[in-house]
Amino acid sequence: MELSHEDVKKILEIIDASEHLQELELVHGGFRLHVRRGAAGAAPTEERAISPAAPEPMAPTSAPPSPAKLAVEPALGEREIAIRAPMLGTFYRSPAPGEPPFVEIGKRVQADDTVCLIEVMKLFSSIKAGVDGVVTRILVENGAMVEFNQMLIVITTSQ
Amino acid sequence: MSGIARLLVANRGEIAVRIVRACKRLGIETVVAVSEADQNSLAAQMAWRAVCIGPAAAGQSYLKAETLVAAALGTGCQAIHPGYGFLSERPAFARMCEQAGLSFVGPLPESIEAMGEKLAAVGIAERAGVPRVPGSDRIETIEDARHAADRIGFPLLIKANAGGGGRGMRLVHAARDLAGAIESAASEARAAFGDPALYIEKFISRARHVEVQVLGDGKGHIVHLGERDCSTQRRYQKLIEEAPSPAIDDQLRHRMTEAAVRLATQVAYRSAGTVEFVYDPESRNFYFLEMNTRIQVEHPVTEMVTGRDLVVEQIRIAGGEPISFTQEDIELRGHAIECRINAEDPARSFMPCPGCIEVWNPPQENDCLRIDTHSYPGYVVPPYYDSLLAKLIVHAPDRSRAIRSMGEALARFGISGVATTIPFHRAILAHKDFRDGAIHTRWVDQEFMPAIPPSASVAAPLPAQAAPG
Repeated sequence: MELSHEDVKKILEIIDASEHLQELELVHGGFRLHVRRGAAGAAPTEERAISPAAPEPMAPTSAPPSPAKLAVEPALGEREIAIRAPMLGTFYRSPAPGEPPFVEIGKRVQADDTVCLIEVMKLFSSIKAGVDGVVTRILVENGAMVEFNQMLIVITTSQ
Repeated sequence: MSGIARLLVANRGEIAVRIVRACKRLGIETVVAVSEADQNSLAAQMAWRAVCIGPAAAGQSYLKAETLVAAALGTGCQAIHPGYGFLSERPAFARMCEQAGLSFVGPLPESIEAMGEKLAAVGIAERAGVPRVPGSDRIETIEDARHAADRIGFPLLIKANAGGGGRGMRLVHAARDLAGAIESAASEARAAFGDPALYIEKFISRARHVEVQVLGDGKGHIVHLGERDCSTQRRYQKLIEEAPSPAIDDQLRHRMTEAAVRLATQVAYRSAGTVEFVYDPESRNFYFLEMNTRIQVEHPVTEMVTGRDLVVEQIRIAGGEPISFTQEDIELRGHAIECRINAEDPARSFMPCPGCIEVWNPPQENDCLRIDTHSYPGYVVPPYYDSLLAKLIVHAPDRSRAIRSMGEALARFGISGVATTIPFHRAILAHKDFRDGAIHTRWVDQEFMPAIPPSASVAAPLPAQAAPG
């Protein structure tokens, strides 16, 4: 039996979904698949335009893109930890309109405390602090859309 | 102007770039939804804004309907273009867009639903007087299958009602294999689609795949833009597409395009759609296969021979505007060919080759040469999605000149860092059968591939221990 493109894609998806898995080698008949997370084969995804010694000018549509419009993330201090959005959605600071916010700057929180909500199509997820510490920065306005993995709130830990 | 000022692109790769371009032409701002793996994509660079919708795995990003609707609403978009694949043919997604007050750039959810269920689509075709492949209704039992097989004869094809992508499909040559094939097809269909329903069709050997491009305004006005021939396939995956088909004449073209328009009219179709036919050159009969309710990968060959922009038309229609031309305005000029350049290694059973594109040196684009791509020097082909790197499209006054200029363009296309299907395309274009237009949908698998000597560059066996680059 031969592995199809679809099979390989599925294998890669499974590997990708298992976060603890760092390296895998799969031998199947004459077929060998070697995958390593963050390996050299998959070069870093940061923007970089390698300029090849092009024998002729690039077609306009294939010109390397201008530097990526990546959102600039605020730098974190030594004891600061950012709570990030686990999904894209609308950021809410309080449990319901008119109610006081879950946290304000200066508030001491424990890992299990809810610090905000994210709503996707009427489905609300409560976001936990994840660490013990003090809220030192709130980076998003109430009601704004946040992207996946965007920094929301910064907690300063005591050690 | 249309009511759409800003549009969310719910797709990736070359089609996301294609949609951004069409929007620029229309003066519409674009927001491109990207997974974490695509944050640096060419579409994201070109768009007004990109939003990260989730991690790389499509199930957690490009297939998350709620997230995409939330992203569109949160960035002030009035419309969503789903591209092809992913959510483009999910009626629930189209419905969700509508309920959120967003224009879905595609057909009504009811049309997607009707065409997604293969037997329902066949029924619509029959009501529109469009012939179907001789076949059965729903097969519930082995007995049903035996009765149908007696009537249809062997070889036959078992297909899944919820169908698509060859899953739940079985080719059966003899009665003794029927029961086993029915059983395994049903369980595969249940696993793939959650629906074990099957039906049976006569298998037409040496058939061609010919499809008709239609556009509808949703109010009953339908135009066609001629046909495409996609018979050059490997394992049911299209590799080379051309317009017009080298296998049909004007009379057949007329009958086929009329049938497609009748079918689309039957459902007052809205947006771009493709009516696929199986064409049997021996009997000169054609049969309805299915209707795809989205823009297709190979749409550029139609654009080249008609001079029309299908994605622009799709967006205008979604904004409530009429189609910008009539049937009489459509004139087919010359011949266009498209080659899908995939990051796959033809020498190693077309294994996908994710990795960094070190050299990307495509031929110069002009009126007769077009490249639809999201690749650039330094682009890292992610392992999570399909392997399409670029579509190379040429246009010439006739087929033989189009084949020649495609050959030259492929020869000039410099790519290093990842293996591509370019050598494979060059070998096919040089083959007498292809040049004579004498191929069928199984030709690559049954005749072209087996005939390649082991030493030839296309199929040179490499040491098995080489890891994908």
